[in-house]
Amino acid sequence: MAALLDPPLLRRLEALALQVRRSVSGRMGGERRSNARGRSVEFADYRNYTPGDDFRLIDWNAYARLDRYMLRLFVAEQELPLSIFVDLSGSMDWGNPNKAMTAKRLAGAIAYVALAALDRVRLTVFAEGPTSGGAPYRGRRAVADLFSRLDSFPVGGTTDYAKLVWPIGKQRPGMTVLISDGLGETSMDVATAALGRARQEGAVLQLLAPQEIAPDWTGDARLRDSETGAEREFTSTPLTQGAYLAALAVREQEIESSAHRHGLRYAQLSTDQPIDDMVLRTLRRLGLLS
Amino acid sequence: MSFLVPGAAFLALTLPAIVALYFLRIRRPTRIVPALNLWPDEIRDRQANVPWQRIRFSWLLLLQLLGAAILVAAAVQPALSAGTSLARHSVVLLDVSASMQARDVTPSRLDVAKNQIGALIDQMGSQDRMTLLSVGSTPRIIASVVGDRQALHRALDQMSATNGQADLSAALTLAAGLVRPGDDARAYFFGDGIVGPLRTDSANGLPFAAEYHRVGVSSENVGLTSLVVRAGAQSRAGFLHLQNFGQQARSISLEWRADGRLVDVRPLTLAGGQAEDLVLPVPADATLVSAHAVTSDVFALDDTVSAIARAPRQFRVLLVTAGNVFLEQALRLRSDIQLDVVAPAAYRPSASYAMSIFDRFSPHALPDGPLVLLDPPPNTALAGGPAIGIGRTRATDAGDPLLTNVDLRDVHIARSQDLRASTFGRPLITSLQTPLVLVRDEPFRQVLFGFDLHESDLPLRIAFPILVENLSEWMLPPSVPSHSSHPDEPVTIVPETGATSVTVIRPDGGRRPLAGNAIATFGDTDLTGLYTVEQLVAGSVRKSWFTVNLFSEQISQLKPAERLTLPPVNTAATVHALHRGQLEIWPWIALAALGIVVIEWLAFHRGL
Repeated sequence: MAALLDPPLLRRLEALALQVRRSVSGRMGGERRSNARGRSVEFADYRNYTPGDDFRLIDWNAYARLDRYMLRLFVAEQELPLSIFVDLSGSMDWGNPNKAMTAKRLAGAIAYVALAALDRVRLTVFAEGPTSGGAPYRGRRAVADLFSRLDSFPVGGTTDYAKLVWPIGKQRPGMTVLISDGLGETSMDVATAALGRARQEGAVLQLLAPQEIAPDWTGDARLRDSETGAEREFTSTPLTQGAYLAALAVREQEIESSAHRHGLRYAQLSTDQPIDDMVLRTLRRLGLLS
Repeated sequence: MSFLVPGAAFLALTLPAIVALYFLRIRRPTRIVPALNLWPDEIRDRQANVPWQRIRFSWLLLLQLLGAAILVAAAVQPALSAGTSLARHSVVLLDVSASMQARDVTPSRLDVAKNQIGALIDQMGSQDRMTLLSVGSTPRIIASVVGDRQALHRALDQMSATNGQADLSAALTLAAGLVRPGDDARAYFFGDGIVGPLRTDSANGLPFAAEYHRVGVSSENVGLTSLVVRAGAQSRAGFLHLQNFGQQARSISLEWRADGRLVDVRPLTLAGGQAEDLVLPVPADATLVSAHAVTSDVFALDDTVSAIARAPRQFRVLLVTAGNVFLEQALRLRSDIQLDVVAPAAYRPSASYAMSIFDRFSPHALPDGPLVLLDPPPNTALAGGPAIGIGRTRATDAGDPLLTNVDLRDVHIARSQDLRASTFGRPLITSLQTPLVLVRDEPFRQVLFGFDLHESDLPLRIAFPILVENLSEWMLPPSVPSHSSHPDEPVTIVPETGATSVTVIRPDGGRRPLAGNAIATFGDTDLTGLYTVEQLVAGSVRKSWFTVNLFSEQISQLKPAERLTLPPVNTAATVHALHRGQLEIWPWIALAALGIVVIEWLAFHRGL
């Protein structure tokens, strides 16, 4: 665990909590306000009594006034189901600092915040297809398992966002964080659309290396794609670098607009940004954490 | 167009070399990128990606080939045919006389001539010789090189105008000496044509053709051409002559100074061609008077003149004679001579006399210093042979300055000592039988007459006092010369008896030490103004002065000569093999190549 996140950062993360804009729908009691009516101290509504209801919820004062059985309904406080999708394709195994390693640490930090608040965390890594990170994690005791599992995932393969549609679609409404560089052959829009349909609230975090944001080399080279292995001869000049940066900006714009279109937050992060700065500053400013 | 270094064309091999370099397959390092689809499909074909592929259009390759081609073109040094015909040996004569300081053309005649010569140098071929001569009072060879234009330009830049006259004859004689018969040579004279009279001593003609390139356009000038100080009955006065040599009327202001102090200012208006003579007061204690014309003409050298105002210092002269009224009267004509006449029996040697004259007498030991011996007695040291009958006399050299204005046509002599065997000096006046008058410069200026004046009609002629005056001034120059010297004119400095050091102080303050025990010719008189001669005699400093002024109406006229009659050309010795001058353009081509290389560099870095 220490290899992924250091203890001082973990202590600072305990002061944070995931911030949701909608009510959650969990299976177990938690600290999140739920759409379901349940046991809590917060009054929600009245409804007529029907046979089979818990008679302990009958409001006897209302019966005295109205001569009808009325049930008092309270807001149920449930856990927050948090899903974290981490891109560990070949393109993420690049850059200095490495994008995949940074993505694991970022995912671990967000998961730690959720687990510390008794929220349920489901971890999924993906490349050519999704790979489940095992049963949902809950409570602080699961932190070590989650980190260990997160650290053990291999990196490689091509990115196929379309294969995320099915695992996203079977999720209950909750929060989802998708961490990826967004540089796959296919568009990320299929995944963000699926998140929207699944009533997922969350964020798309695009993680790039500084060498991608500002290429630091010129001259002739043979370019090799980190995922497909395809090669192409290329001459890097100020003009061609400008064309690359323009294409990268278009891709970023596409991802951002797709995320916003489906109710998701978007942030672009650079791997040379310290992990605590990403979490404590960028994600808080984004409204993902509070 | 011709090529000065055609052999450099082998550098054109760099063109196929550049193309061959293009065909070398580039070795590209492999770089892994996260997403290849973001990188544009851009390959600059600076080199082939496949060996021996079909050559593809590339701006860089085109610029490289163009730059190399232009560099090769510069290396062969192309030269355009210039408008001037040049010989293999061009003798360029530049007038550096005073009139070339005139600024009727901008910036001056000399600078304009130098620019024209510079253009001529630029057209010189690499195998051509050019000799650069300055034409002043004394011609000088400034440079004579083959093909080295830079050396000629440097030499030309260092040439400056003098205050003297231009002696073109001497310059042409010098130039003729530089050219061997049969050489392909041509002379170019750049000047205003205001030169001294051309001598006809080049009877055989010049071994080259000569061209005159006139410089200058105007003659609008007011000049001061004469200033002398004369003593009147009561006082002294300066007599100044000035003239407007131009066609237009000019108003000037004349400043008259004594020892630098302003004495008088006179406004004058001179019509075109008008001359004016002014009489100006000279203060009693003045040493130097000067006149300055404040005018806006194009020539400044003749706007300021100066003259010595001091009364000349007296010299003691000894005449030892049994009686010679003619000689005595002739010597007394010089106002600065204090004459002591003694009989031969009363003669005692004395060092206090600046000059000694012995008439029909010769002492046992001749005194050091200027000396005149007339008809020395037989058996004395300088006596000649037995007397012989003479008759008519004549000058040995009619151009000798000692015989200036001396007319010997009616002079007869009855008899004279035979001086043919004398080793005294050179003959000044001679006859069919024997030399009559000998003169020598060393160790002192001395004169030997072989005849008794009483046995001649010379004392009865007007030539006699003139001859005596000439000889006495030659032997004993007055401390204040009767006339001003011209720039570059040698001035004879005769040290006084007993002088241990002689120093001449120039107008710019420069001191020139001379030998104190011998007659010296001081030629460093290029500056106009006052020269002071300091002599240290018996511990005291004695001063004398002379001035140098332009005083040349020929120069002050400033009018450039339309044509100049140059000495004839010796056609037998002249080779007519003129070729067109060459105007080298390779520096411009090299500059263009540099521009192409810069563009190629910019194109490379901008990814074109």
